[in-house]
Parts: sequence; C-alpha cells; structure tokens
Amino acid sequence: MDATIAERPSGAGSPPAIKPTRRRSLRSRIASCWLHLVLIPVGLLWISPLAWIVLTSLKTKIEVFDPEAGFLPAALNFANYPATLAVAPFGTYLINSILVTGSILIGQLITITLAAYAFARMEFPFKKILFTLFLLQVMFPIYAIFLTNFVTLHEFGLINTLPAMIVPFVASGYGTFMLRQSFRQVPAELSDAARLDGCGHLEILWHVFLPLVQPTLIAFTIISVVTHWNDYMWPLLVTNSDDVRTLPIGLGLLAKSDSGADWTRLMAGTTIVVSPLLLFFVIFQRRFIDSFMHTGVK
Amino acid sequence: MKSTKSNISRRALLKVGLAAPFVSALPGVISIARAAGPTKLQFMYPVGVSGDINKIISGMIADFNAQHEGIEVEAIYAGSYDNTEQKVITSIGVDTPPALWLPINSALQTFLGLDALEDITEQAKADDIYDDFLPGFLNTCISDDRLYGLPYQPSTPVLYYNKDAFAQAGLEKAPDTWDELLETAKATTLRENGELKRWGLTIGGGWHDWMFEGYCRQNGLVPWQKDKVLFDRPEAVEALQFWFKMVQEGVMPKASTWQGSANDFMAGSTAMLYHSTGSLTNLRTSSPFEVGVAFMPKKKTYGAAQGGGPLMIAKKQSDAKKEAAWTFARWMTNTENQANWSRATGYLAVRKSSWQSPAMQSYLEDVPQAKVALDQSEFAGAFLQVPGYHRVREFLKSALDRTLAGEIEAATALGEANSNANREIARVMRRRKS
Repeated sequence: MDATIAERPSGAGSPPAIKPTRRRSLRSRIASCWLHLVLIPVGLLWISPLAWIVLTSLKTKIEVFDPEAGFLPAALNFANYPATLAVAPFGTYLINSILVTGSILIGQLITITLAAYAFARMEFPFKKILFTLFLLQVMFPIYAIFLTNFVTLHEFGLINTLPAMIVPFVASGYGTFMLRQSFRQVPAELSDAARLDGCGHLEILWHVFLPLVQPTLIAFTIISVVTHWNDYMWPLLVTNSDDVRTLPIGLGLLAKSDSGADWTRLMAGTTIVVSPLLLFFVIFQRRFIDSFMHTGVK
Repeated sequence: MKSTKSNISRRALLKVGLAAPFVSALPGVISIARAAGPTKLQFMYPVGVSGDINKIISGMIADFNAQHEGIEVEAIYAGSYDNTEQKVITSIGVDTPPALWLPINSALQTFLGLDALEDITEQAKADDIYDDFLPGFLNTCISDDRLYGLPYQPSTPVLYYNKDAFAQAGLEKAPDTWDELLETAKATTLRENGELKRWGLTIGGGWHDWMFEGYCRQNGLVPWQKDKVLFDRPEAVEALQFWFKMVQEGVMPKASTWQGSANDFMAGSTAMLYHSTGSLTNLRTSSPFEVGVAFMPKKKTYGAAQGGGPLMIAKKQSDAKKEAAWTFARWMTNTENQANWSRATGYLAVRKSSWQSPAMQSYLEDVPQAKVALDQSEFAGAFLQVPGYHRVREFLKSALDRTLAGEIEAATALGEANSNANREIARVMRRRKS
C-alpha cells in the first residue's frame, strides 16, 4: 500500500501546499511535477507484482515457464479461475475470513481503547507491573503460546469453530501500547475541560480522546486486518472442517511441497484472496489519508 | 414446591440408571444405537503434490463412508507434512488424537517417542499386508520388527532430464553412473560468451538432504541408525566431495530451492534435475519439451531414500475406533484404490497387485516414465528415521550448503553435522525417558 499512500499527498495534499504560496505557483508546479516523476516509477514498481499475478493467472501452464512466450498471455485463459474455485469452497472461506477478521478488529478496538485509556489516564495499584505484562505479551512470538492457547480453547470446547480463531486475538498488547502512547500525547487540559463540563470517563474517551487519535486507530486497523487476513498456521491448527476455514488455507492447497506450485491456479487463487483487501483499501483510501493529514492536533 | 420438583427428577434419574444395563443388554437395541451413532474417525492428511488431491481424498472418503455403515470418517486437510505433524502432535498433547493421520515416514521415531502409535503387526500378519505390499515401502513403517503404519503415498527422488537439451548435445541415454553424470552435465551445460544459459544438473534444494541420503546409499552407506547418524563416514564424505566437484566444474548451481529448481527445469534452465516422483505429473504436463525420467545414477549400487508417508493409527483411542481405523487404512490401501491413487497423483502404488491391475498396466503404457520410480524403489529404504529428525535435517543441510559454497571442507562439515546431530538425538531420547 506504500505507493498509494505516498501518491495521495501529491494529489490531495497539494491544495493546502499551494494555497498559502500562490505567488510561487511555478516553483511549486515544478516541485509537484518532479514529485510525479519520482512517484510514477515507484507506483509502477509497486503495481508490477500485482499485474504479474493477474497476468500469470490468465496463462496456460506451459506458457508460464516457456522462455519463448511473452509477458502477456497469448490468449486470455480464464479457465484457471473456475479450476481454482473447484479445489476448495472459496466462497465459504471468504465469508469466514471476513467474519473472523472483522470480529477480531471490533473486539480489539474495544479492548485496546479501554485498556489504553486506563493505562494512560488513570491511577491504580500495580499499574506499572500490569503494563509490563502487556508489553511482555508483545514480545512473545505467537508460536510460543500456540499449545497453551489450544489447550484453553479445547477446554472451552471451541475447537473447530469460528470463535476459536477470534477469541485468542481480541486483546492486543501491541495495540494497547500504541494507543496508550497516543493518549498520553493528548493535552491534559482537553480532558480536564471535558470533566468540568460533567463528562465521565467513557464520555471523555468518546468525545475527546478517540477523535484525536484516529490516525493511530487507523494504522492499527490496517496492521490488524492484514495480519489476521493472512494468518495461516493458527486457523489451520484449530479448524478441521471446510465450513469454518479461511482463505489462506485454500491458497495453501495450491502451493505444494512435493511437486512445486501449481502457478497458474495459485495466482488465480491469490487474485481471489487479495482482491477483497485491495478493494477495502481503495474504497476507504480517502478516509485513511484524510485522517493522516489531520494529525496536526496536539 | 422446589423440593418436590427435585425429588421427582432424582427418582426419574434412578429409574433410568436401573434400566440402563438391561436395555443395553438387548442385542436389538445395541445395533439400533450403533446405527444412530456411527464410529466417528478423524483423519488428518497433508497435501504434498499439486493437483486436486484434496478433491480426490474427499471423494475416496465419501465412497468409504457410503460403503461402510457404522463408520464415519472425517477428512481433515492439515497443510504440509510439517503442518500436519504439528497439528497431530498438538491434538495428542490434549489427549484427543485423530484416529489416523498421514505424516512423512521420517516422523516414525518422533511419534513412537510420544507413545502415540498403535502396533498393527498382528492385524497385518493375519491379512495379506506382508505378502502384497512392496517390501521397500513396508520397511519404512517398521521399527524393531513391529509394524506401525501402512504405507500410503511413497515417493522417491528420480533423475528428470530434458530430451531436447540431450539431443542438442548429441546424447541419447541418461547417465547411469556418477562419472557419466558428471560427463553428461558437462556436455549439457550451456554458456554463451561466458554467460550461463543452462546448468547441466540441479539438485532440488530444500530437500537436498533427502537426495544426499540417496547418494550415500548409492555409495553403500545407510547414513543413520535408529539412535544415531553416520554422516562422517568416508562414503558420505566422498559423496559430498563429488557434489562439490560438480559445482567446481561449473555444471551445477551451489544452491537452489525446491520449487525454483522445478521451475528452472520447466523453463529449460537446467538440463537434468533431481526431484521427487511426486512431481512427475506436473513436470510432464507443464514442460514445453519431452521429459525423460531415469534412475538416479549409481556409484557402487543404485540407491534412494523413500519419501512420502504412511497411514498411522493412534494408540490412545477406544478399541472400536482402532478397529474402524484399521478397516479404513486397509481400504485406503487396497489394490484398486492404490492403483487409482497412483495414477491420479504420481505417487507409487504400494501393492504388487495394484501394479499388475489392467488399469495400471495401460497407464504404464501411456506414461512409461512412471515405471522408472517403481523399479528404482527396489533399491530404496526409509529416510532418516531418527528422533528429532527436523533438527538433524537442518544440521545436514547446513553442512551441505556450506561445503558447496566453498566455506568449509566436506569432511569437516559432515563431522560437525554428525556430532551436532548425535547430540540432538541423545537430548531428545534423554527427554523422552524422563
């Protein structure tokens, strides 16, 4: 996503840059053109693997490795898509992926906001120790706690259900830490003023803090969605049946260890898996960028 | 009011409790109960070769469930071999192992160490397993003369070659000995103005330790025993020196990756390739030239290490489940199913009778390359069945890589790998005892 994010400032970001300096419009135009000269190749570089994925998904198996064959497929061969969809129920996987990633995100946003507010703005016993424990959770590689998480879920009877992929991730030490740092940067005067106006903790959080830390929330959303959308090992471990599995497991069926990958179908599958994410970012791109542009309040 | 209620329910409970033994003693009731609740088996399997293995397995299991009243198998795709092993071991950790699973044969000692495997020697002896299964494959499931699994999808490495590249170099025949291999690799390596266009030979990386065991076996050494490895023996050192020589002569790359090497072969950037028989279908159908398949060349003898996996049955489950699991494993490896499985995937059928079946005979006429792996399997044995084989493989691979990169002498590298590996094996065994 780097380039799309980088590309926007030249478009959306230029009006505020030009406004105060209208007399230097020539210089700024040169500056923005120069920026385009840099950004267009970078943008192309970013888009090239995606283009390659789509093109490969339209080729025949032999074309992929034939040195004589060109970069573009000789004939558009859409047969790879139905062939990919026949390998596994990708529709079910897609719905499950959306449910799992969405539920994790909602859960995380609630827990990290509350926890971060407590750590940033409240005093209570053992605060430092508790926060250190939160940080410790960030440092543990997820693989180290696979077995204990598995045992817990097994005792809850949650193995092979959608909640098994959601429950272990609804709290995030990393997100709490990130948000606590942002909350601490919000001037105390703002929350004090809100308290004088009669706001309770939750109202202060809702009306004062959350609007001001939107960029952090969005950054965290991106990280969380990408991580859990692509997660492979944990869903594979806790699910058994097709109706609760997620998209990366379907992709795993096409990348084989014994025989080398089935490239055409793997690329068709990859296109299917990444397009919802891409669509999500394209649709919300303006919101993402806008919130990053309005980070000035401090 | 409250107390009356609880009294009634207690009485009802007692009545039911009294009736239970009598009811269950009635034969008719039992069979009805069974029909209502079939024995449910979980079967975890990896998908190691591309193609629609997932579909094939699901289809086979649907057939099995339809044919066997009272048994219901649930097929659980569990990723790669490594993923499957992790998933199975995790389930064993919470005392709910799947009824059966399909690991790589190297994991035999790992699962025996967990005391997780049902000994099926007696059932197998009462059946035709010892007569009809190809002994090379069956041996991969035997430890101390006891049988712990039924081979299901064995594979070995074979030598693939590009017939166009061979014709270009004026060659007709695949190399048969190490010396011929070097000569052929020299003849088929292509350089234009000092720039490399085609390697003579590539050994599929990532699994090159598997190929290396083949080289040791070709040189008359099985480089492991049940509780130690023998990487520092002169036969092994000589094999690695031969690899290094091919690198020095500029006919073989120092390193490659598993998928990358297959891609290189299909793209014509290497004339010969050591890869799994499991790749046969993919290489054959994706290459724009004719693909030849041959034995891996010999030194003292032909030799190969068996890849692929057996069906293993869990020890910690009810007898009814064990019996059902045996029925299922037996069915999956019957003559007809093995012939179909082999033709669909490129894995080798485990039964002699499968190979003699008419369907298989006509397949061999269409794809004579498939026969090569079967013939070679006569010279093949189990692959690195030592405890803690994951780490041991990494030690060996590191020794091979560093030698080929020219960082270290073959003998020193293998000596180090040997002592590291044996220390690791001793550690795993010590932990198992305590």
